[in-house]
Amino acid sequence: MRLAPGDDAFAAAFAAKERWAFDEAYTRFGKLLYSTAYHVLGTPEDAQDCVHDALTRVWRSPDSYSRSRGALRSFLTVCVRNEAITRLRSKVRRRKLEERVAAEPQEYDELGAVDVIERDRLRVALRSLPPEQRRPLELAYFEYKTHVEIAQELNEPLGTIKSRIALGLRKLGATLGASE
Amino acid sequence: MTDHLGELAALYALGILEPNEQRSAEEHLTHCDACRRLLAQAEADVAAMAASQPQFEPPATLRAPRTQVRRTPGPAMWLAVAAAVAIAVLPSGYLLEQNLAMRQSELMESQVMARLMTGPHRTVAFAGTDARVMYAPDGSWYCIVIRGATAPFHVMWPHDGTQTMLGTAMPHGDIALLYLPKSHRMNQLSLMKDGQVVGQAQLVF
Repeated sequence: MRLAPGDDAFAAAFAAKERWAFDEAYTRFGKLLYSTAYHVLGTPEDAQDCVHDALTRVWRSPDSYSRSRGALRSFLTVCVRNEAITRLRSKVRRRKLEERVAAEPQEYDELGAVDVIERDRLRVALRSLPPEQRRPLELAYFEYKTHVEIAQELNEPLGTIKSRIALGLRKLGATLGASE
Repeated sequence: MTDHLGELAALYALGILEPNEQRSAEEHLTHCDACRRLLAQAEADVAAMAASQPQFEPPATLRAPRTQVRRTPGPAMWLAVAAAVAIAVLPSGYLLEQNLAMRQSELMESQVMARLMTGPHRTVAFAGTDARVMYAPDGSWYCIVIRGATAPFHVMWPHDGTQTMLGTAMPHGDIALLYLPKSHRMNQLSLMKDGQVVGQAQLVF
């Protein structure tokens, strides 16, 4: 994807922490960032809080983003997604604790569960990967498992899993037209 | 970490590194341009995945908060400056506090989970409440859990004609939790809310 006119100036302004660029990030990327958080957390309120917190943290951290980190859009998407995963893990851990101490068994919320639908280009693109790359990438992306957990679940060496995830991600990115 | 990220860049972008690996990667990224470029590509790939899922319209309330206004105040701007200070400072303190509270809460949950999984314990309810205390038979730790809590609860130890305040169980999510490592046995605990005792538990050793 070629950068549209103004994108460079916008990213540079964001890196320089110019206020208008912070506002502009919400305008330009709000839908993508919100959707990214929503797919992980499953509720509008959690998704909105997550986007706010992630962007605010980036904005307040010195040197959090520089042009050498690549496209601002990609950087912020990953920041929001990681914030959402952290929140989800915290939620799941809390729920596990509550289950442990409560007399009655609790049902896990199916947070993060996304219907497999044909309109989902990502699911379609994943099918183009060989199964040995697709499965670990699915566990990483949709189930937020660490590479150690994935290696255990698939009963494969850690190094093999790392390679397959990295290879699968790059192939998938190319299929989906990712560019820095 | 002195080695380059290599395949770990993809795992970092996906958010699936173990915490210690993530910290090492972040440290390495501060001084390695090659790995920053590698990570930029991996982040672009993850962003492409995110953008290829169904997208949702965000609520109208999703907009930049009014913080960190960079302006040089002139003589006629003192009211605006006061407002800007209130806007800029208060959320900052709030966020710091919120992050700190979250870290403390996570630490407490981890400690409690470890205790429950690894050692023997007993459980007693606070009469008349949906709260309970789990404790070690030797009195080395106590964990107070209040389900459905929407306000803080103080935990007291009535003994020798006095009440010792042990701590406050802060609500977070669906439960309020207080973990108390101790070195003595406490036969009775009280729960207080808004200055009133709302439940008592009798512990047996």
